[in-house]
Amino acid sequence: MSIDMWLFFAIGLGVVSLGFALYLYAWVNRQDAGGARGQQIAGYIQDGARAYLAKLYGTLAVLVVVLGVLIALIFSLDMLESVKAHQLVGCKKPLEGVWTALAFVAGSACSGLAGYLGMSIAVRANLRAAVAAKVGLNPAFKVAFYAGAVLGMAMVGTAVIGISVIYLFTRDPEIILGFSLGASAMALLAKAGGGIFTKTADIAADLVGKVEAGIPEDDPRNPAVIADNVGDNVGDVAGMGADIFDSYVASAVAAMILGVGVGRDTANPEFYVVFPLVLCAVGMLASFIGIQFVRVGKNGKPGAALNSGTVITCVIFGVLATLLVLAGGYNLGVLIATISGLVIAVLIGFCTDYFTNDERRPVQQVAAMSKSGSAITIITGLSYGLISVVPSMIGIVIATLVSYFSAEAFGISGIYGIGIAAVGMLSITSVIVSADAYGPIVDNAKGIAEMSNMGHEVVERCDTLDSAGNTAKAITKGFAISAAALTVLALFAAYGEVLQGLGLPLKMDLQSPLVLGGVLLGATCPPVFSALLMLAVTKNAFLMIEEIRAQFRAKPGILKGTEIPDYARCVSIASAGALSSLALPAVIAVIIPLAVGLLLGTDALGGFLGGSIFTGVIFAMFMSNAGGLWDNGKKFIEAGHHGGPGSDAHKAAVVGDTVGDPFKDTAGPSINTLITVMSLVSSLFAPVIAALSLANFIK
Amino acid sequence: MDTHLYLSLVPEALIASMLDPEAFGTYYAVGTMKKAHGQAMFVEVDPAFRDPFFRIDDGMKRCVPHANGNPKRSVYISVYRVAEHVPVSALGSLYLVTHDGRVAELKKETPPVDHAAGLYLYQEICPVNPLVASTKNPIQFHRFMSEPSESVFALPALYFAELKLGGLAVDPERGDGGELPYGNLDHLRQCLVDIRTKQISTKMVDRNHPVAFPYRTVQTGFYFGHGQELAFYPMPAKDELLSRYYAWWRSAQM
Repeated sequence: MSIDMWLFFAIGLGVVSLGFALYLYAWVNRQDAGGARGQQIAGYIQDGARAYLAKLYGTLAVLVVVLGVLIALIFSLDMLESVKAHQLVGCKKPLEGVWTALAFVAGSACSGLAGYLGMSIAVRANLRAAVAAKVGLNPAFKVAFYAGAVLGMAMVGTAVIGISVIYLFTRDPEIILGFSLGASAMALLAKAGGGIFTKTADIAADLVGKVEAGIPEDDPRNPAVIADNVGDNVGDVAGMGADIFDSYVASAVAAMILGVGVGRDTANPEFYVVFPLVLCAVGMLASFIGIQFVRVGKNGKPGAALNSGTVITCVIFGVLATLLVLAGGYNLGVLIATISGLVIAVLIGFCTDYFTNDERRPVQQVAAMSKSGSAITIITGLSYGLISVVPSMIGIVIATLVSYFSAEAFGISGIYGIGIAAVGMLSITSVIVSADAYGPIVDNAKGIAEMSNMGHEVVERCDTLDSAGNTAKAITKGFAISAAALTVLALFAAYGEVLQGLGLPLKMDLQSPLVLGGVLLGATCPPVFSALLMLAVTKNAFLMIEEIRAQFRAKPGILKGTEIPDYARCVSIASAGALSSLALPAVIAVIIPLAVGLLLGTDALGGFLGGSIFTGVIFAMFMSNAGGLWDNGKKFIEAGHHGGPGSDAHKAAVVGDTVGDPFKDTAGPSINTLITVMSLVSSLFAPVIAALSLANFIK
Repeated sequence: MDTHLYLSLVPEALIASMLDPEAFGTYYAVGTMKKAHGQAMFVEVDPAFRDPFFRIDDGMKRCVPHANGNPKRSVYISVYRVAEHVPVSALGSLYLVTHDGRVAELKKETPPVDHAAGLYLYQEICPVNPLVASTKNPIQFHRFMSEPSESVFALPALYFAELKLGGLAVDPERGDGGELPYGNLDHLRQCLVDIRTKQISTKMVDRNHPVAFPYRTVQTGFYFGHGQELAFYPMPAKDELLSRYYAWWRSAQM
């Protein structure tokens, strides 16, 4: 098949994927929306989510246009030639700047579209899942999972269409870096903003509602309850969706850049450039088939249904990828790399589950230690969180080594093998994201069932669905972080490749003070970024706590159930707080790598990226897993162990859970995006940095 | 508007109110401007009940609607040593109120004759509130505390709840603690071992144990004794609470 045909194949499957997402969207929308009370509660959540998205996308639109114009101007120039000639020299490819800018805008738009579709259906599906739970577990599961699949299928569809169309017109993978940077910029703000929003609301709702007023979870008397439910959607649907979209695109783009020149001795040298896209398309097909198998069987276990969907999709993808490589007579090294990425992704997901599942020793140990007070709870959770990094890191190392050496063994670039392993890891993104988005939908469904008095049987069914969602969420986080780790390794290699193309090979010598300085500065970024996000959560939570207390004082009928709280006010505080807190973290992601590169040079920037990747991956895994551990330790006690709710052990576990909230839902997962953005900025702006770097001038 | 008489157990007080039991419970727990809050228990007293110890009629006269027509929420008729002056026959239903003002009603019944064998844990509610471990079942415990022939101190009235001991009721040394109302498990085990092995039938586990204990830790129910009389308020099973008092049950888990 010609390259164009492969691209049309990818675009065709992308359109099918998007079409399937729209079909599921319509199907979910047709389900019974129940009575007026439920619709009123769901309406509050929809309004809050819409208001937040409108603010977020409005801010982003301005940012994207400004950055797009800057990119168009900068990439219209040949920087190296301009510096040499001491005057502005136009780029050899006259439209490169315009294409890169358009790709950047398209990347943001595609990410935004997928996030919008996902969140738009999530805030409709929550009510419909609760209503379906009146009939039984299976109908409710179906509504929630299919709604999650809207995000999963829309995301990969738009990504593959976007990348394929740009490559079809430009035939330049480096221009697609612009698309990837657009997606990453969106992801950074959506994930970090969503994380700040959701934890601001969650912590404030818990501290005042539960601790001070003694109100249970999801009680309509709590003024922050709607903001909490909106937060689940903006953080875990739109935010996590944008995060994985970003990794998905970045892994494909990195592998495409690394694929240039890989097949130069073959009959079709360009094939290895588009091979990542072909793999993505095959992954879409596998996910499309796999999703059909996800259903709650007679045993009524939704968690098993979600896991079986993932495993079935992996097997289908493995078979299809093998057929593709064998039938096409392509290099076996890429097949081994693909499969290694896929297998390691699943194993890392299940390792994460081990450390955050309340049926396993770490969570039970944290719960047991809570009897000795909150200090011991924190120490135990931190310790297990740190240990939890080990299996994932070993998994990443194995995937890296296997993919590298298998590719080398079959005569192609080992670095390309690593890029393909990342693509293999992310090939099943649709089904993973579907399972992830299912979580907040059933969580909301439970809240709506509680708030609209649907009865304890409905709530218990939603609770069963929600437990499976929590496990899926933990697995997704492990998957997302590991995938991002492998992706940034590939992006790091792509950075070297771009420099090589400029005639400036990357020299990563740790004895060089510039490189060492870069490593240390890079290693500092993820912790500082995490701290800024968590400080934003505490600052905004403080404001919301004051608001809730003020509402209780001003409206004494709220607790008696005779007055309705002002839900919109809390949503507004969370929205404004989240968006206003993003400026500094965004500066770290974009400006710092540019500053390091421009001041210390391209080699130091390489060290900077390396340092940020090392601490970033460790911090992301540690924070996500420790937070999950504390959360489930608290739930384990609430299930009737160690004195149950209200006991001293429970109070200690609540402290652990509150500390862990911004760990696992704000800072931890946002680090993925940070290191991806920093890597993309470095690769995309490598020519500019190479031309204008102070260190290069001094040399 | 009817005027009700309520015997508050925490703190002990006799209160006249124009609110029905549910509204009174919510008001009593969360106040009007969130200035008062906390878990509460109260018993509805027959409005026709009179005793020379209380100036009930004076209180009733003051319990009239406000100028704006709102019902009078509370007129305190007496505080402290109230229970010892209210006979069991005047007691109506018991109302358990959660921290956030949800109310569940427990009907009065005749105390059960049969009790599970083993050890027992009692939360005394009034006149004072220690946590006590005992080898005596609730009927025997009430008799022990109120009959002059059984002990040198015979209390005129004693309100208490039987709390869960889990596996410790039959095996204090190795039994499963699970969800108990007392956090110091080792101390509780030692107290239970003491009353099983030494020549004592009751032992104080905690002198001043909070009466805002979690309702889910109540074993059989509440026992309100006055002299030789004893009223029993059985704690409904979890399923019954879920179907009749779902919102209350959720708040009671906090």
